[in-house]
Amino acid sequence: MDDEKYTDINGKPITLDYQRHSSFCTEFIVSSPKVSIGTVMVATSFVWIFAYAVFCLTDNTAVLSSAIIITLIGMMLYIHFVKIDHESLLVIGSLGIQLSSSYASGREHTSFIEMSKIKDIVINEAIYMHQIIYYLCILLRDPADASAVSSVVPLFPSSKPRLNCLVKVYKTCQEIISKC
Amino acid sequence: MAPWRRKADGTGERASEADTIVPTPTQKHSICMVSDFFYPNMGGVESHIYQLSQCLMEKGHKVVIATHAYGRRKGVRYLTGGLKVYYLPLQVMYNQSTATSCFHSLPLLRCVFVREAVTVVHAHSSFSAMAHDALFHAKTMGLNTVFTDHSLFGFADMSSVLTNKLLTVSLCDTTHIVCVSYTSKENTVLRAALDPRIVSVIPNAVDPTDFTPDPARAPRGRITVVVISRLVYRKGIDLLGGIIPELCLRHPDLDFLIGGEGPKRIVLEEVREKYQLHDRVRLLGALEHREVRDVLVQGHIFLNTSLTEAFCMAIVEGASCGLQVVSTRVGGIPEVLPDDLILLCDPTVRSLSDGLEAVIGRLRRGAVASPAAVHARVRSLYTWRDVAERTEKVYDRVCVEEVLPLAGRLLRLRDHCGGVAGSIFAFVAVLNFLFLLLLRWLVPDQGMDRALDASGPQALWGPPQRDPPAEEAGEGSQPQRDPWSDGAPTAEGPLV
Repeated sequence: MDDEKYTDINGKPITLDYQRHSSFCTEFIVSSPKVSIGTVMVATSFVWIFAYAVFCLTDNTAVLSSAIIITLIGMMLYIHFVKIDHESLLVIGSLGIQLSSSYASGREHTSFIEMSKIKDIVINEAIYMHQIIYYLCILLRDPADASAVSSVVPLFPSSKPRLNCLVKVYKTCQEIISKC
Repeated sequence: MAPWRRKADGTGERASEADTIVPTPTQKHSICMVSDFFYPNMGGVESHIYQLSQCLMEKGHKVVIATHAYGRRKGVRYLTGGLKVYYLPLQVMYNQSTATSCFHSLPLLRCVFVREAVTVVHAHSSFSAMAHDALFHAKTMGLNTVFTDHSLFGFADMSSVLTNKLLTVSLCDTTHIVCVSYTSKENTVLRAALDPRIVSVIPNAVDPTDFTPDPARAPRGRITVVVISRLVYRKGIDLLGGIIPELCLRHPDLDFLIGGEGPKRIVLEEVREKYQLHDRVRLLGALEHREVRDVLVQGHIFLNTSLTEAFCMAIVEGASCGLQVVSTRVGGIPEVLPDDLILLCDPTVRSLSDGLEAVIGRLRRGAVASPAAVHARVRSLYTWRDVAERTEKVYDRVCVEEVLPLAGRLLRLRDHCGGVAGSIFAFVAVLNFLFLLLLRWLVPDQGMDRALDASGPQALWGPPQRDPPAEEAGEGSQPQRDPWSDGAPTAEGPLV
């Protein structure tokens, strides 16, 4: 596809792939960079140096062994529950939207929102940590009142792409939604 | 321009707005109003900011407002005409004012200034810690600053001495200061040891269409005195407590109608209890802004007993509703209305009673101007369009001025604020600058998305008078669909 470079809000490069299966169905995949070996090394050595300092003070070898276990379990939890490699958005006109995220460990989490529940897809602004960012979100229709919004589902919550990427996704989504 | 600033520009950090950084007097500004006080909080400063912003937007400027979060109201909201309000989650300390630490608000305020491509930062109210913080950060970031002072202070007591010192520090390198009356200007110049040439006077205004007279609503055969103010010491409620029994005794057909809430309500309730005046003194409690007019038109005389006041909006509102105004001669009040529309008294029970007596006598003789005539005169005196025009001139003047570089700022602080305080704040300024460098390294300016303009020259919502959107875009405030359509101009150029 195009050569445009996308980054997330922290300036890290991300890639946006999209496959147009038909005029009613498009899939977007936002991929964040993999966990770098450098990050793992820094985190590990940080824990181990701390553990070694405690060991010097206490002379208790249990500290060292627990540091090893903490590092291993921490890494496992991180790739299984925190680190998301790909986030995808599958928009199928007149049917619904499927959101899925695949974790670094291979675990996948998928959810599907029916088209009848979706009011609109919009780009909104929010305060996130110490920044103000744009994000894409699905507005869910309130079952009681058709004109009201019952809740908001943010899209790409982990990769947080910047505005130029969001606009691209937004336009295609609107094209598909407006057709049905 | 500051050397470090030039370097920042050279690296293309703000390249997309390079043309807006060195503005010419005729060009449109991008203004960020900062104050702790904004709607849903009610008061004079709040309505001043709102009305001024609306009129500036009408003139084609881009205006955004930054304030702190009120309860669940946080994030970004849009008001009438695409007025964008940032409710930033900063901790509220006391009386709706945020904690001032000089640092913690920098990341968010910087984000607002950068993404909105702000050229002038306009802070309001000396009670607002966030306003002072914003001035401090804006100067560190090399933006031009304007400050509007809405209140008068004393010089004698301990708290005033401290506040004045802080104000001196905050204003000594602010580009321009606006006061609401000449008395307020004199007060501010003295308090903050300023050069009077950089202080302008721009009065407040009222919306004359909101405050129209309605003589049919005022009861016939009786005379009603209306008082609308917060029931606090500053507003002279103790004086009011002295006047009420005296006049009620002398005039059996005199009623009092008192709107507002506050700690001094107990004084009025005691008076009412002691002299059995329940049927003649009505306490309405807190009023919403839109109810004020309905209360005003029920009366014949508007009484203001303030002990200190920079510019009294209430008496203008009263006169605009066609009431006879009796007020104390304090602060900037004598400047506000022409002599034939107001009766000024000394802030004593005796003098105020005499003043009220005189007006009551005139009312009985029918020797007063009709409410419609009074309204017609007031209507042309203070309008928000006029205020906006004068503020625009201040912006034109400010934006061609140079912002002091860091070294200059430090020297200025040391010279103006005394050895100890000056040195301390110079140190804080250096820390703030280092913190800014750290933030620029963590999140570079070009890493932030430029916001799409809802007002100003590149407004996507159109001028406010042509296409006003809904009063407020609720919880899920959403940009309309048009901004993203093909070819829409954005801060980063046309979208692909």
